[in-house]
Amino acid sequence: MTSVPLVSVFSADDSSKVTAKHIPLPAVFQTPIRPDIVSFVHTNIAKNRRQAHAVNPQAGMQHSAESWGTGRAVARIPRVSGSGTHRSGQAAFGNQCRKGRMSLPIKVWRRWHRRVNIKQKRHAAATAVAATGIVPLVLARGHRISQVPQIPLVVEDKIESYEKTTDALNFLKRFGAFEDVQKVVSTKVVRAGISKQRGKKYRVRKGPLVVYFNENAKLLKAFRNVPGVEVVNVTRLNLLQLAPGGQLGRFVIWTQSAFAHLDKLFGTYRYSSIIKDGYQLLRPLITNPDLARIINSNQVQEKVQPAKTTKVLHEVQKKNPLKNTKAMDRLNPYAKKQRAAAAAAIKANTKGTKKIKKNKALKKASRAAYNKVAASLNDATKAAVQEEQDIKVKYFSVQKGAAQTE
Amino acid sequence: MSQQVLWEVVKGNNAFLVKRNGLTLSTDPFNNTGVQTYSSTGFISKNAVGVVPTSGKVNQINNINLVAKKSTKFQQVDRKAKNTQSVYASTLAVKHGVHTASRVIRKRFGTSRVGLQKAALRKLVKLNRANSVRRRNELAAAKAQKK
Repeated sequence: MTSVPLVSVFSADDSSKVTAKHIPLPAVFQTPIRPDIVSFVHTNIAKNRRQAHAVNPQAGMQHSAESWGTGRAVARIPRVSGSGTHRSGQAAFGNQCRKGRMSLPIKVWRRWHRRVNIKQKRHAAATAVAATGIVPLVLARGHRISQVPQIPLVVEDKIESYEKTTDALNFLKRFGAFEDVQKVVSTKVVRAGISKQRGKKYRVRKGPLVVYFNENAKLLKAFRNVPGVEVVNVTRLNLLQLAPGGQLGRFVIWTQSAFAHLDKLFGTYRYSSIIKDGYQLLRPLITNPDLARIINSNQVQEKVQPAKTTKVLHEVQKKNPLKNTKAMDRLNPYAKKQRAAAAAAIKANTKGTKKIKKNKALKKASRAAYNKVAASLNDATKAAVQEEQDIKVKYFSVQKGAAQTE
Repeated sequence: MSQQVLWEVVKGNNAFLVKRNGLTLSTDPFNNTGVQTYSSTGFISKNAVGVVPTSGKVNQINNINLVAKKSTKFQQVDRKAKNTQSVYASTLAVKHGVHTASRVIRKRFGTSRVGLQKAALRKLVKLNRANSVRRRNELAAAKAQKK
């Protein structure tokens, strides 16, 4: 980066006032975003808070059950010995049995924790910090930051001396962070499942993370009762807080000294970290990840071959040129003229040809004959109808008018 | 931040993602198509215009806001700006009708990203139609009440 992005530090009392105008962004924020490292580290580190638990090793096994063997018309599963109770003769021990022990019962010596290479953990933390400075990622994580004046949000150290929760709340309101807190409050849900009986009644979202530097800071007490807000010291940044659920882009509020400490903590691209011994920030594989810009740049476009146009070699459906005149014309451009000439010739000959005349005469004759036959048929039918009427009138004394209806 | 890189982070899971009935949809305000795809996901791009309905009074001509994505070098709110600003967007209320709003959209995109431009315009028209129907109904109801 030729130009270092600059950040303003805001006054704690008034969000429109800026106490330090242009502070260069610590190099951590330039670290390449590596969701793969973060998700790997997160899945492993998330296991480190687990407490060992196990199933009672004797569960389901406190019987002197024995298999009855073959020949008794029952399954060969061990059966409870004894008599005088329903339980006797019932299946026991197997995972498939009722009241049997589970398959592969959980042991206390299950490997609960995972160790992750320090370098990986540090890279993950660095990436997570970088992601907190990228607005789309914070949006994608679901934080409500429409009223926040700046991302990353850096505030003067005064907030470290807040003792009262009211101060903390007012501060959050002033800086547009209260919307995020409201989201947390309104989306508090009773957890589904048995965990609610095991001390985890509610599922609560994550709100802003406040990062401070001075160890004597009292702001922990001020902020701890605000729902969703977490407070952490810079020296103890936790990936589980920076990228909850392995999702990058927590909304973070930095104090000025915490922000300044980041360079010492993670180092820069000029010097390695002072505190994390020998740690050097990850360098990006590509310095300019904007592919669209690279492709459209002059340097690339000069070398690149012109774009191929989709050339249609042939039509999708074959047209028969003997039947389809357009297809014929495409193959033989002269065909059109040939057709026109033939049509003209036919027309010229039509009036004179004997055959045509003969046909015409025949047609005329047949038409006349047909008409004659049709006419005689007509007369016959008329006569018949009339005759029927006369008979009806004569013999059935039906009135002339009424005869029609029957 | 490059749109490509952001997409790789965000495509699997983000706050706007909605998966329903085998469809991958998005409630991103900068997305005018509703479907989550690389090009239509506006909140990761440098310039995008979202056409967003707002709840407003009957007297407003349009209850639509144009939310224009900002690409500032340092992500700070410009207090001197006239329209409502946030870290990631400048909101412009559509007050003077669909034509002026469409000019804003066209100017923003210019000759590039025709698909996105059309999607924005399409949504603008649809919202406007819905608005006019709603306005008509509300006015009729108000009139009936008066009587």
